[in-house]
Amino acid sequence: MARERKDLSTNFTAMASPCVVLVDSSDSLLGEAVGDLVKSEALRIEMKFSRYRPSVVTHINEHAGDAVLVDEESADLLDYAALCYRLSEGLFDITSGVLRRVWKFDGTGTLPTSARVQQALEFVGWHRVRWNRPVLQLAPGMEIDFGGIGKEYAVDRALALVQKRTPVPVLVNLGGDLRVTGLRHDGAPWRVVIEDVDRLGSSAGLLELSHGAIATSGNTHRFLEKDGIRYGHVLNPKSGWPIDEAPRSITVHADTCTEAGQLAKLALLRGAGAEQFLEFEQVRAWCIR
Amino acid sequence: MRVQLKATHSAANPGLRRALKIAAAGLLASGTGKAQEVPPDAPSTGVDSGVLYYHENGRVQAIEPELNLSQMFGEDSKLSIGAVGDALTGATPLGAVPSTLPQTYIRPYKVVPLGTPVTVTTASGGSTVVLVPPAAGATTQTLAASTIVPANTYPLDHAFHDDRFAGHIGWEQALTSTLKLNGGLAYSKEHDYRSESANIGLSKDFFAHNTTLDAGLNYESDLSFPIGGTPTPLTVINGDWKGPDASRHEVDAVAGITQVMNRRWLATLSYSYADAHGYQNDPYKIISVVDPISGQPNSQLYESRPESRRKQSVFLDNKIHLSSDVISVSLRGYKDDWGIKSVTADLRYRFQIGQDYYIEPHVRYYDQRAADFFRYYLVAGEAMPQYASADTRLAKFHAATYGMKFGMPLNEGSEFNVRIEYYDQHGNGSPAYAIGQLRQQNLFPDLQAVTVLLGYTYAF
Amino acid sequence: MKLCTRLALSAIGLAALCISGCASFGAKPWQHDLLAERAMQVDPYPLQSSIDDHIYFSKEASSGGRSFAGGGCGCN
Repeated sequence: MARERKDLSTNFTAMASPCVVLVDSSDSLLGEAVGDLVKSEALRIEMKFSRYRPSVVTHINEHAGDAVLVDEESADLLDYAALCYRLSEGLFDITSGVLRRVWKFDGTGTLPTSARVQQALEFVGWHRVRWNRPVLQLAPGMEIDFGGIGKEYAVDRALALVQKRTPVPVLVNLGGDLRVTGLRHDGAPWRVVIEDVDRLGSSAGLLELSHGAIATSGNTHRFLEKDGIRYGHVLNPKSGWPIDEAPRSITVHADTCTEAGQLAKLALLRGAGAEQFLEFEQVRAWCIR
Repeated sequence: MRVQLKATHSAANPGLRRALKIAAAGLLASGTGKAQEVPPDAPSTGVDSGVLYYHENGRVQAIEPELNLSQMFGEDSKLSIGAVGDALTGATPLGAVPSTLPQTYIRPYKVVPLGTPVTVTTASGGSTVVLVPPAAGATTQTLAASTIVPANTYPLDHAFHDDRFAGHIGWEQALTSTLKLNGGLAYSKEHDYRSESANIGLSKDFFAHNTTLDAGLNYESDLSFPIGGTPTPLTVINGDWKGPDASRHEVDAVAGITQVMNRRWLATLSYSYADAHGYQNDPYKIISVVDPISGQPNSQLYESRPESRRKQSVFLDNKIHLSSDVISVSLRGYKDDWGIKSVTADLRYRFQIGQDYYIEPHVRYYDQRAADFFRYYLVAGEAMPQYASADTRLAKFHAATYGMKFGMPLNEGSEFNVRIEYYDQHGNGSPAYAIGQLRQQNLFPDLQAVTVLLGYTYAF
Repeated sequence: MKLCTRLALSAIGLAALCISGCASFGAKPWQHDLLAERAMQVDPYPLQSSIDDHIYFSKEASSGGRSFAGGGCGCN
């Protein structure tokens, strides 16, 4: 049995999450280069689609009502978002961010009134968006948010760049959404720790990953509790209310992080029917309630 | 009919998942990173083809090409069609016993109008053409082939050649995510036999696709129109043209359960029952009537088998996945009301080499008990049984198959494979009760056959 | 006890065990990875099995088990 060599790792913060890049090699120069490559790609995507600083997204949101010309990459993401909206029959909607203003998951336990939710829903709905590539036109007052796709997309993009650069086994982890290039050098899988939802920060289990990606969607970090009922922060864009009986966490394994993340979200959005959805679609997943 | 006792995890392809995969692939393939790691769209057309070469030493040779195509329609339906042809030449046992003296056999093969000039020639397979004297008032005349079997030679029918064509069509439909329906039709034609069948089946998954229950029904209708006509059983062989076409019907039912035992082990257990009625004889097979002291054959009779047959079998199959290799081990027990019982044990070990290449050695062991009415020969003077057949296929014997298969990928989703097998069948050629000259004869010559099968499959 | 009878009884016993314990056996949906491989299918090479069935049917008295003959031939 070969002695386990410690991987070269690069740690940084991006998309408000801890990120790690592991390189299965003893070449420290390569390890550094790969780490920098992933970090710069992750930051690039974060900056480009950020809601908080001048970016493509803030530009689109500030010009809601006007026709906006977008670049190729943004157009690809919008096409993808449109497809997911259709496939999920409206449950996945990148215009649902507006509901955020109504639901304050700040621990004060205040529930919004029905009227306020209905009001906010006037500005939610991809069907209100005119998207004719490369021109996007939101209705006034609407907003888009790539938060639901961005992190997984960044993982896949970063990994693609790494693979063009080197055949060495690499693991890219951006805040829990991760992907591997393949088996490690010794033919063994990568070992990934799954976070315990009840004791955030401690381990609930170990996953052995030989290929593909895993993405997690969950309710754990932000929620509202009132009268003993936990209102998750995942909102149903059609009703405006939190998804009923959503699992606390869903971890999905698929070939790409984008696919895994989307399946996790679609499952979460189905609330009580999450497991059934995952089973029917034959998804490798782990649901925690 | 092919009852697809599918593994429980292979339910109908989910449309959403596939669409999502394509969407993700589209997003990632464009722009900077050409993400080659994203797997291509699962093809909806499948091909399963092969060519078999079969050689039985000293006897039969056959070439058999087969082609099957399947096409998905949407995510829930699949159409499959297939055709197979085989060309068989060689010699097959007549059923008669060998003798220390030469023997003559006769078989009608053609009817011509009376008065047609016929040259007596040597017909195929070393036999002579004989004009059978026509009955009074007949307007036609029968030509028969007369063959001489030399002394101490196992009697074979050398004129044997048969071409067969068969086709089938099938439909599979997923009704829900756990329920599937399938149905099909099949047709097979030889120059002296025709078979048509229809089948239907249902399969349902339980416990998150870990358990599948299957049931199927098959109805088959066959017509036998042998060269020379259908002989009357247990009558003395002669050159006259025989009786009309004879038919047979069979109903088969099968029920099974497939269970995922754990991540590495899949097991299947099934039970089948079949009921056949009608003409079950082999119209070309004969049985010798021998002298009770010398053991010399006096005459030959056409064989006789019962008009009905009920068969049952139990089949257990296991597939076990080791770290990269796969073991398949199966067992089958069979029993019918003709008194035949058999056990079949089959073992394969697939050595996986790399991602797609493999080598798979294979052994099969088969042991059969004789039919109640099987006789190597009848004895003159003894009471005539109701049924009697000397067809060694119905005798007591055991057989072993040893094979090796090599598989390799050609390109994405396709596989080319070669399989070579050796079949060895042994029966008791010297039963203790053999009389006179039969004691020195081999009444069950061993059968050895070699098969080579080349296969090509794509997305199947 | 005859081999055939013994075999039949074991098969029935196994079936009963299977059906009663089926709910507890199995693998989680995400553990169906190996089972998806071709070699783990119940009939991974249907053309090969149909050719085998046809060859054995013409040389031996037994038939059936895994599937039907699908159009018999005159070599009975």
